[in-house]
Amino acid sequence: MTPERFAQLAEAYGANLQRWPHAEQAQAKALLDAGDLSARDALHQARWLDGMLDSHQLAAVDPALARQIRLSAKPPSFWSRYASWLSPAGFVGVGIAGVAAGILVASLSVPLPMLSAEVLPSVFDQGDADIVFTVNAEETEQ
Amino acid sequence: MKDIDPDVELLARIGNNEPAAVNEMVSRKLPRLLALASRILGDADEARDVAQESFLRIWRQAANWRSGEARFDTWLHRVALNLCHDRLRRRKERPLNDDDALNDVADSAPAPDEQLEAAARSEQMEAALASLPERQREAIVLQYYQELSNIDAAALMNISVEALESLLSRARRNLRSYLADTPGLARPGRGRP
Repeated sequence: MTPERFAQLAEAYGANLQRWPHAEQAQAKALLDAGDLSARDALHQARWLDGMLDSHQLAAVDPALARQIRLSAKPPSFWSRYASWLSPAGFVGVGIAGVAAGILVASLSVPLPMLSAEVLPSVFDQGDADIVFTVNAEETEQ
Repeated sequence: MKDIDPDVELLARIGNNEPAAVNEMVSRKLPRLLALASRILGDADEARDVAQESFLRIWRQAANWRSGEARFDTWLHRVALNLCHDRLRRRKERPLNDDDALNDVADSAPAPDEQLEAAARSEQMEAALASLPERQREAIVLQYYQELSNIDAAALMNISVEALESLLSRARRNLRSYLADTPGLARPGRGRP
């Protein structure tokens, strides 16, 4: 490995050789072991920035967040599993029930002034009774 | 040669609804996801949202995970990165006040000198990271902080290893330049370590 390539790698990957591309780690170590001064200088430069990068601290994980995430893994209950299609089905059901109730109320409350006994035949209608009796009489005779 | 994915067994246990496996997955991946999203987005609240959403995808995927394709950790990074990208895109559409993102750290609780100094350096580093162009920041977060191999980091960013190397070099140059202009920071001297 040339000192120039070593400097390029240090510039990209930092001072820790274990973070360098696997294929080039052994050659880089050999250059260092040979006492190459420019290679050591490149590592020194990279180490300063590594230290600065390491100084970036993150807040500790909030236990409440961890708990919330663990709870989100619970297997779905029966109702939640079918909630996606039960909900629209419920809307449709309520709609149908509403229409049916409307028809029932309308049919009970609307007066029928235009309808007379002639228009609405009755089972007690005399004429029909005659026919029924006549048919029955014929059947009985046979 | 492909080495064994250390997360596969855990995923299978999660698929079997084992609570202990769920706990272990949260312990193993939550800090990593929060670190990734916090550094990419520079916003703790948004990072929490990304972590939560990523875990929902894990729970959905666990029972169906097929080993032999992508490593689980790489897949998880892709999921979280995509969620981060969505948020960054939305920010560009509706720019936020610059002060919003960087004020999370501010906490005036009294602390010993060393802690104050460490907190100040951390803030400087956070500002330096935030100053990087998006792709450079992503490269340094994936390679340095998340400790992904150059091959995995390049694959996640859909670029070649050479392009990743170039992004990393530019990122580190820019960071050095930013930090060198920050008062009170010792610069690296040239010469012997």
